[in-house]
Amino acid sequence: MDREGQKRIVEALVLGAPEPVTAQKIAEIVPGLETEDARALLAELGREYEEQGRAFEIWEVAGGYQLRTRAEYASYLRLLHRERPLRLSRAALETLAVVAYRQPVTRAEIEAVRGVEVDAVLKSLLDRQLLRIAGHREVPGRPMLYATTRRFLEVFGLGRLDDLPTLREMEELLAPGADEPGPPPPASAAGAGAGEPGDEAEGAETEPAAELH
Amino acid sequence: MTSPGTMGAELRPDGVSAANACAIKLQAFEGPLDLLLHLIKLAEVDITDIPIAEIAAQYTEYVGLMHELDLDVAGEYLLMAATLAWIKSRMLLPPEGAGEEDEGPDPRAELVARLLEYQRYKEAAEQLGERSLEGRDVFAARTPELEPPSEEERPLAVSLVALLEAFRRVLARSTGSGRHEVTAEPIHVRDRMLAVMEALARCESIEFERIFELEPERARSRALLIATFLAILELVRLAALRVYQGLDDDGVPAGPIRLRRAEGPGADEWTAAVAEIT
Repeated sequence: MDREGQKRIVEALVLGAPEPVTAQKIAEIVPGLETEDARALLAELGREYEEQGRAFEIWEVAGGYQLRTRAEYASYLRLLHRERPLRLSRAALETLAVVAYRQPVTRAEIEAVRGVEVDAVLKSLLDRQLLRIAGHREVPGRPMLYATTRRFLEVFGLGRLDDLPTLREMEELLAPGADEPGPPPPASAAGAGAGEPGDEAEGAETEPAAELH
Repeated sequence: MTSPGTMGAELRPDGVSAANACAIKLQAFEGPLDLLLHLIKLAEVDITDIPIAEIAAQYTEYVGLMHELDLDVAGEYLLMAATLAWIKSRMLLPPEGAGEEDEGPDPRAELVARLLEYQRYKEAAEQLGERSLEGRDVFAARTPELEPPSEEERPLAVSLVALLEAFRRVLARSTGSGRHEVTAEPIHVRDRMLAVMEALARCESIEFERIFELEPERARSRALLIATFLAILELVRLAALRVYQGLDDDGVPAGPIRLRRAEGPGADEWTAAVAEIT
């Protein structure tokens, strides 16, 4: 099969997948395609969409690849998805941030950082499968440990946990002019996903959220 | 999300002008640390050298205002007010062993460390919120699984945590009420499974916590309650039972957890499975 043919199959697989599809999976399916080739074709597709000015782009999220609409069309898509909009309160974001950077972490540790009770927000994040229970800490009381999920990576458009921007160091906060938060991460984190695929996502969090079947 | 509108309503550091604006502003704080950071920023002071008397006074004023406005002042705000008062008193005391070079640790040090730690995560949270979120800013092409997952594979519409919490309430209510346990008759999970399904044959759905009240109160031993809970879990596993919960406007599960018979093929196979349990 020629390269162009392979590329179209890769495109079809990414479009028709129920969740982000890995380069490895694509290589298993497409005859004569190695994982590295799959990544190269995905990068080519990303460039094609960009050159053609398509309304979507390829993202690398949760260890796989996914087609997503470009952020500039958000207002239209929100009208389409009016029924169940994604809403994350500041309490939810702060709790997610503490868990994401310190996981696995107990409720008491989250509360110590935030200075407020987090019972209700933890429950809501578990129900929305952005957090999961990752066992117990072996100390008296055996408190539950919380960690982020694969869904968390998907919602925040992260390839893997390592893609989180590093926390600012204490020294930085104390430096002159530290009042202003650093520049926001490029809203075009999309850019990162669109062009150059990174390393294999072996280290990425792939555990599904805790569920009772 | 914090809308720019909410955060825009600034309160003057020197006092309280428009009560309405304050109410909006106060709700925008994520707790005492957040409020303190805000006051320190407004006062334009160095976080490592907080004028504690000034900041404590402003903090107390805010918390008092929250009371006046009938806002729900969480205990953590009051605890912080007490901490500030304690630090203030320590600052007024002459350092122990006055005259020596070493003045001892700064009473503010621990608070400063907490504030800085919180600030790191607050900023990280802001950065998370500024990303292009799936379902808010970008939307994924996602083909649903063609076949709906079989009943066994489908996750419960209620989290395990919520279910355990509900069961803990049931246990808590039972203690102290008629714990006779005179009969040494063993309780079988299988029998409880039958009892639960019988009850559900009579009505479409039952509130989870009510299902533990099938037996007269004096018969509700801890062993019976636990066996009933295990029976429910087993029935869910056998796809005979569905455990679910309503959603509120935000799509967050809310309200009582309910049970109903599962529908579809396989819904009656549980009887065969029960027969096999010895």
